[in-house]
Amino acid sequence: MIALSHFQVGLATLLIAIVFAISILQALRLERDLLIASLRTVAQLYFVGLILAAVFAAAHWYWVVLILFVMMGVATQATVSRLERPVPGQYGIAAIALGSSSAFTLAYVLGAVVRVQPWYTPQYIIPIAGMILGNAMTSAALAGDRLQSDLRSRSGEVEAMLALGFSGREAVQPMIRASLRAAMIPTVSGMMTVGLVQLPGMMTGQILAGSSPLLAIKYQVMIVFALAAATALASLLFVRLSARRYLTPAHQLRRYLL
Amino acid sequence: MTAHVRSSPELAPSAAGPYSSKSPRTDPLFEVDGLSVVYPRRGSQGPIPVLEEVSFAVERGSSLTLVGSSGSGKSTLLRCLNRLEEPTRGAVRFRGRDIRSIDPRELRQRAALVMQTPVLFDGTIRDNLRLRPSATHVDPTEASLADALIEVGLSADLLDRRAETLSVGEKQRVTIARALLTNPDALLLDEPTSALDPPNIALLTEAILRLRQTRALTIVAVTHQPDLVWKLGGALLFLVRGKVHAYTRMDGVLPSTIADPHVQAFLRGESISPLGKRDRERP
Repeated sequence: MIALSHFQVGLATLLIAIVFAISILQALRLERDLLIASLRTVAQLYFVGLILAAVFAAAHWYWVVLILFVMMGVATQATVSRLERPVPGQYGIAAIALGSSSAFTLAYVLGAVVRVQPWYTPQYIIPIAGMILGNAMTSAALAGDRLQSDLRSRSGEVEAMLALGFSGREAVQPMIRASLRAAMIPTVSGMMTVGLVQLPGMMTGQILAGSSPLLAIKYQVMIVFALAAATALASLLFVRLSARRYLTPAHQLRRYLL
Repeated sequence: MTAHVRSSPELAPSAAGPYSSKSPRTDPLFEVDGLSVVYPRRGSQGPIPVLEEVSFAVERGSSLTLVGSSGSGKSTLLRCLNRLEEPTRGAVRFRGRDIRSIDPRELRQRAALVMQTPVLFDGTIRDNLRLRPSATHVDPTEASLADALIEVGLSADLLDRRAETLSVGEKQRVTIARALLTNPDALLLDEPTSALDPPNIALLTEAILRLRQTRALTIVAVTHQPDLVWKLGGALLFLVRGKVHAYTRMDGVLPSTIADPHVQAFLRGESISPLGKRDRERP
């Protein structure tokens, strides 16, 4: 792979100048945000790069685990912040949903599929965990947000079911189904067009790094399936656990939470 | 009509309520005792008191109308009777038993709530009438579905119609028919006529009165219609800001003999002003 010098990266920032020019000429007033975003891109990526370089060099399992926990914490916070209204115990719910879905998928991919030795080899576990957590986070947040808005807009339906003697679980089942579908449809439709419109990021990276496209697609197929499993599990757990918070043991809807 | 399970052993009155023990002639279906509801604190908003120390009893087979301005707690009170809402203090007894000792799903089939906006689900009217919790093993027969529709003044031909093709008035009557299929002891009506036009109000009122007669149903209704209050008779509970402002018997009463000016004004069809605030501010 061709090494990039700082000067060469500097040349790339000229591309951002095009965006600035468009923002100014079209009076988009995005210059301030764009400046901050560009600085953050550089700073965050350099920061992460330095940490990863150190962890890769040390190759100790505890550094890897620490990084995984930090990633989990950030993903949990991001999931919760997308909910329009707080749900009691939301951090616990998000942590359980993301943690168990990602841990299971990651363990299967690394242990049974790739068979990485040792398991904490940073080069494999960190980027794969990042992709899995990122997708789990997006789908859990999507599902949770949809569940909340559906319960709010369809609370009459839920209470009509409860009033007919249905259990709380039965009464919210249509909203759970709708939110799971909403969370999983992007993954399924993404799988329909994968590779046809643009090459997935990981595959692009592998090809740029010199891997053969045939090896790169094997990894990509594995990742696409792993992400599908992680998103389905994470959204299912998140929606199931949070739906329970909206209900009481006496089969009542906690309307004040909506 | 097919035979319905009239009463389950679980709901057989195990302990007589205070009313029945004090005077053997009364047979209350609902007894509400010192009921208060406070909505929990949310964000910067403090706890909101919705109902304060409300007590009343509804005799089996009689009626109670709940009236008051919007926000007075009428609907919350109604929803406490089938435990869709949990009181903060106080108790509700149904057939002499504290409702907290009854499975809420069972209670809700005995005390059927009809909501202000009728909720019908995707599918035909038959699908909607057959909608039953998985725990219920009673499967209504075709004849009982048709009977239920006829009882609320609809034609049995509607069974195959899709729910979304019905008018609001028809939908409201279908929700009542659906509630009747569990053979309830009581109908809880939450402003059943508020979404309807005058001809439909008349049809629905007629259906409710007929059901009370034929099924000996106990009726508790939240309403803004003085006409419905007069026709249902029984008793009237006037709520102001969550408190009982007046609790009046309506059977055999003339408008002129009602002492409370606010109740009188309501029964004359004058709109209810939010009098609570003004009254409180007065010395």
